[in-house]
Amino acid sequence: MKKILALLLAVLMVLAISTACTKKQTGATSIKVCLSSEPDTLDPALNSAVDGATLISHLFSGLAKWSQDDSGKLVIVADAAKELVKGVENADGTVTYTYTLRDGLKWSDGKDVTANDFVFAWNRAASAALGADYGYMFEVVDGYEEVCAADDEGNPVNPDAKLNAKAVDEKTIEVTLYNSVSYWDELLAFPVYFPVREDVVSNESWATDPKTYVSNGAYTMTAWTHDSVITIEKNPNYVDADQVKMDKIEFYLSDDENNMVANFKNGTWQLIDGVPTNEMATLQKEYPDEYKVVGQIGTYYVCWNVNEEILPAELGLTGVEAENAKAEIRNAIALMFDRNYIVEAIGQAGQVPASSFVAMGMTNPDGSEFYKTAGHNDGFSGYYNVAKDAFEANFNTAKEVLKKYYAFDEASGKFTNFPTLNYLYNTSEGHKAIGEYLQAQLAGVGITMKLENQEWNTFLNTRKQGDYSIARNGWLADYNDPICFLDMWTTASGNNDVQFGKGAHANVAAYSLDLTDLGYDIKVENGTWAETYDVLIKTIKSCTDNEVRYQLMHRAEDLLMSTGCICPLYFYTDTFMISKNVKGFFCNPLGYKYFMYCTVEG
Amino acid sequence: MNSKTAFYIFKRILLAILTVWVVITVTFFVMHAVPGGPFLSEKAVSPAAQKALEAKYGLDKPLLEQYVTYLKDIVTKFDFGPSIKKRGRMVLEIIGDGMKTSAKLGVIAAVIAAITGIVLGAVAALRRNKFIDKVIMVITTAFVSMPSFIMGSLLLVLLTTTIRLFPANGDEPGGLVLPIITLSLYPMAYITRLTRSSMLDVLGQDYIRTAKAKGVSGPKIIFGHALKNSLIPVITYFGPMLAYIVTGSLVVEKVFSVPGIGRAFVNSITGRDYPLLMGTTIILAVLIVVMNLVSDILYKIVDPRINLE
Repeated sequence: MKKILALLLAVLMVLAISTACTKKQTGATSIKVCLSSEPDTLDPALNSAVDGATLISHLFSGLAKWSQDDSGKLVIVADAAKELVKGVENADGTVTYTYTLRDGLKWSDGKDVTANDFVFAWNRAASAALGADYGYMFEVVDGYEEVCAADDEGNPVNPDAKLNAKAVDEKTIEVTLYNSVSYWDELLAFPVYFPVREDVVSNESWATDPKTYVSNGAYTMTAWTHDSVITIEKNPNYVDADQVKMDKIEFYLSDDENNMVANFKNGTWQLIDGVPTNEMATLQKEYPDEYKVVGQIGTYYVCWNVNEEILPAELGLTGVEAENAKAEIRNAIALMFDRNYIVEAIGQAGQVPASSFVAMGMTNPDGSEFYKTAGHNDGFSGYYNVAKDAFEANFNTAKEVLKKYYAFDEASGKFTNFPTLNYLYNTSEGHKAIGEYLQAQLAGVGITMKLENQEWNTFLNTRKQGDYSIARNGWLADYNDPICFLDMWTTASGNNDVQFGKGAHANVAAYSLDLTDLGYDIKVENGTWAETYDVLIKTIKSCTDNEVRYQLMHRAEDLLMSTGCICPLYFYTDTFMISKNVKGFFCNPLGYKYFMYCTVEG
Repeated sequence: MNSKTAFYIFKRILLAILTVWVVITVTFFVMHAVPGGPFLSEKAVSPAAQKALEAKYGLDKPLLEQYVTYLKDIVTKFDFGPSIKKRGRMVLEIIGDGMKTSAKLGVIAAVIAAITGIVLGAVAALRRNKFIDKVIMVITTAFVSMPSFIMGSLLLVLLTTTIRLFPANGDEPGGLVLPIITLSLYPMAYITRLTRSSMLDVLGQDYIRTAKAKGVSGPKIIFGHALKNSLIPVITYFGPMLAYIVTGSLVVEKVFSVPGIGRAFVNSITGRDYPLLMGTTIILAVLIVVMNLVSDILYKIVDPRINLE
């Protein structure tokens, strides 16, 4: 017995000693960070995660990149290209850009980076065969329509179609767009536009092992312990290697926010990209210089199924009248939620109450905020006033509107014949808390809303099929242009969860569109969704005058919001913690974090 | 080993294979019946891309054909296919990576649990109703009833930040100590209680009294007769328990940021990564079946009276 105890004691002592040897690190030229758990892929074409994009932005170099100017303002600058050129308009309205690559661009295995690597990478990423989530990012490039054309069964119509991009010589890339696109430079800085080499990616598992991971950026991958840590080190072959300050970055892979906080508190990790909601208030107080909240272009919202029947049968409304009544009701219900309460008591991460769908962070051509000029209202921005003191008035307005359609019992202050609603959300404490708040608000006026939660994948399926009445939703921008919030609501879009223009709504001619004042010969009165919204989006995509284009996008949002099917709640923020010893860090509005110019002091 | 025993073992192996086949079949069809699919994401891919991906992974074929192909690949080539979500990685490679850590954690935790559990249980039984027995019982009751996410979080806060004795992630040296402790506490407490009650039972048996009357020494009675005979329930429990902790504990992996197999298992379900989901399920099933078989065989060794028929 004693022997066993002695043995146990010995084992414990050895374990204790081995941990006592753990060194405290923070060399000036290396940093340990944790963004999330292991990204599904680090292939620039296949990645669709923000943390994956951060890693890829360190490992690859595209024609353009995000950078900070001397005043600290975020700008897009040339990277592998000598300069970001202006496009030349062709006779047929398409626009051609010709880029020259800088001298001395090398892959991490020493081979030269050529123009063909870019052209190959773009065609690969856009192809249906690869099936990349972000393949549609090439929709602005001439030829994309042919590339992704498919018959009713999804079979490609032109399997050999290519984008209109070519390598004129080793160093010159010529790419033609359908028309001039104001966010083209930003697309070039997006990972899906980064080059890859044909012989490298012909090995399907090239992006899973440092031995086969060939990149051309500021860093090379030197180690990857799956689900544990990815190590990247400065690439001496990178053209701008002299500007890269951080020698080594270790990306730890964890998705447990409590674990992240423990590792941050004990000094192991210098940046963590996640904080548990219930600890936000404490951490903000304890670490005022290290707790950061930055804007992220995205909107948390609630969407209605446009085909959901919510009118009392005795009203006897049909067709356009019914649709207009439903729109008014949905818009009224949107006024019954106190967005300030949601962000302060539930979200707690400094989110901003939203009164429009296109998120905060998008800018008009004159530099003003898009969301501030939305809704064309006096005294407040957006489609309703979300100021704290406006809530009571909003709530009462909403009640008055609903009284037009539903029986109201003055004694109890409740509606008596509002049909029962169903609120669908994906299983998560945060979404549940918001659902319960919405439920409580409606219950206050006699509207019953049942909560139904589904596991993530099932939820996506149900929402996409339109098997719901109201659902939780959220959208994050892929680039700084409002169109990425607007083109998702066209009839044929794969993200049209509201089911606009589908089912019964396909024949509802309740919308009007008049673009004659903007110089277009388009005027539709009482048109269907396909005749109005879809036309409007198509017009925006072919519009080359940026001023007009933004006015059109405001019109599109007006039309979208008039349906009441979208009820924005708040604009997302990104909460992270970064050690105060780290200098030179920045992140972009898409949430990518940049460590290459960082130094660690102390 | 006589021929009867050999036949019994052979029969059990056949039964084990049948069990695994049933698990594969049920999982395969239930998995495909659940709504959703591997290519669903917040941002929809084009119908053409969806079609191409389905063809790539053979998901466009009739379900029965997929099932037959899958079984054939496993049996003839031991090929579990590629993961759909983790593009470019093979299922066996992912399972192998995860198992490396999970097996290490699990085996160490199980051995620690067994040794401390048996020792504490024996001590408690021999000192029945004494102070030490009561202390052991209180502690083990606490450990049995405390879920591992509470225990893990408690250890995390206490020993990695308040007192910085251990690192908070599995990759640092010594990072596996806390996960091992967390994993072993529950089985340790359970084994303690099993050993105690079983030992008390044995100590009351006639043959112990006979041995005492014949003047056999105390330690010899305990180690030679009592302990050995009281281990049967522990063996029953130990086999499946080992299988469970070796195949990973999602909670412990998450809390301590350990790269085990548990996370791959859970993510494969939420992401509908069919090949990975099948692969992890099969490994788990095989381990449990094998461990049960091993426990049964061990019975025979520990207690020759047990008739394997």
